[in-house]
Amino acid sequence: MTLAETQELFYRLVTRGPDVDPSAVAGCFLGSPDLDAAERVGIYADMYLWRLVDGLREDFPKLAALLGDRAFLALCRDYVAADPSDDPDLGRLGRRLAPFLRARPNLARPDLPALAALEWARAEVFFAAPAAPVTSTAFSAVGDDLPAARLSLIPALRVLRLDHDVVTLWRQLEQGQLPHAPTPGQQGVVVWRTGYDVYHTVVDADEASALASAAADRPLAEVCLSFARRPDPAASAFAALGSWAAEGWIASVRSPEGCPCPLLGAGAHIASS
Amino acid sequence: MGFSRIPIGHGVGLRPRHYGRMLDERPPVDWVEAISENFMAPGGRPLAVLEKVRSEVPVALHGVSLSIGSVDALAPSYLQRLATLAARIEPALVSDHLCWGSHGGRYVHDLLPLPYTEESLAHVVGRVRVVQDTLRRQILLENISSYVAFQDSTMTEWEFLSEVAGQADCGILLDINNVYVSARNHGFDPIAYLDGIPGGRIGQLHLAGHCDKGRYLLDSHDAAVPDAVWDLYREALRRFGPIPTLVEWDDNVPELDQLVVQSRTAAAIEHEMAIPKAVNA
Repeated sequence: MTLAETQELFYRLVTRGPDVDPSAVAGCFLGSPDLDAAERVGIYADMYLWRLVDGLREDFPKLAALLGDRAFLALCRDYVAADPSDDPDLGRLGRRLAPFLRARPNLARPDLPALAALEWARAEVFFAAPAAPVTSTAFSAVGDDLPAARLSLIPALRVLRLDHDVVTLWRQLEQGQLPHAPTPGQQGVVVWRTGYDVYHTVVDADEASALASAAADRPLAEVCLSFARRPDPAASAFAALGSWAAEGWIASVRSPEGCPCPLLGAGAHIASS
Repeated sequence: MGFSRIPIGHGVGLRPRHYGRMLDERPPVDWVEAISENFMAPGGRPLAVLEKVRSEVPVALHGVSLSIGSVDALAPSYLQRLATLAARIEPALVSDHLCWGSHGGRYVHDLLPLPYTEESLAHVVGRVRVVQDTLRRQILLENISSYVAFQDSTMTEWEFLSEVAGQADCGILLDINNVYVSARNHGFDPIAYLDGIPGGRIGQLHLAGHCDKGRYLLDSHDAAVPDAVWDLYREALRRFGPIPTLVEWDDNVPELDQLVVQSRTAAAIEHEMAIPKAVNA
């Protein structure tokens, strides 16, 4: 057999792929009286799944706890069969688990995809590049260009819009409490890292939209339009921007060519919170 | 070109359980080995720990995903990330395994053995040269533990490893535990393995524990170095002279102190043997 043929066969055996001719095993691999070739290859096949399950459990500890060992193993087996690892880093294996869950019929709980999305965001920001955040004075420095300025959010920040309350669920699992029943409802969640510690918090839907808009590099005028439905949109926008700066979510405020903003006046003051 | 051994002493693997102490204290070891892939991300606590440790003791980068024997093309993004990490850390050594672990762009995240054939040899040698050119340094390749061998093999593992190192002009990371485990699993003599390795190519030794599964030994890295592996370590030192040695412990990781005791045991054995200067084959 060529090297390529050998690796093709070995890969299919290790991943328990379909349609493998059993006679090919004896033709390729050596066995011994106490351990035949198929048993030897089977050692690798067993380790393959367990290694991937362990990797996923590391990034999705709450999901694993909620499902229990047997259901989590079944989920992982189906996931890696449908979407095998395509990254040298095992830590990237779970990046499509939430969408996989969302497309999976007959989930044990409908909030599993949202919980997976939250846990993956936490895993991602843990390893994101560091960035020194700016304070609210960075807005003042932009001066009259503020409405057209754009924000760079820190790399270690994710904005999620989830369809269940999984923040409460996450906290219950963290504290070893019995998990509540699935609670449907739109939930904006920000996940970020400060220093080496990862945090998440619930934000209102319009604030989540504003953050998503900022992350999409839209000008501040457009970012602040997300608050247009509030009684005092400008004050709400200023307060939000101030709190983002205070939390350390903003890496820079970039001054561009000006554009009019219905909510932000030129040289507006952003309050710290 | 040849290979020059860097005398950095006795180290331990850098594992997450010990990050706190590594940040708070000077590591009580001569050097540490870091799993390259765990530090390729651009930020976070692991990288901060590694940079702090590197400011105090030498670091070796040890990869698990180079997949040097795969028929897949070498992943340029992986090599670039490794090169970036190496430039940032300036490691004393860079190593990976003589194995393969990807097929068709899919990774099994395991160290799979190669058939020891002329085709495999030419394939691996060419790829090692590419990696070394990209990193602008020599790498070390480690012998793996294995549970299966191939009908097509025409060389022993030690012959294959020696040929790769010589033809590609790279170093050898000789894992003593892996020699022992594979010897038991395949029924060869571990002393013959040591006798067949060119000592001058060995830049590092690994020690670890394994698990007896009855009909085979599993390279589990979840226990202290057993007596049989210490004995084989002595045989290696007798042949090759003092070599930087690292104790690996990846599962059921103990307190750092226990790991350090293992590393100091390796140093004591080396000292007791009063080994003459390195012997090159």
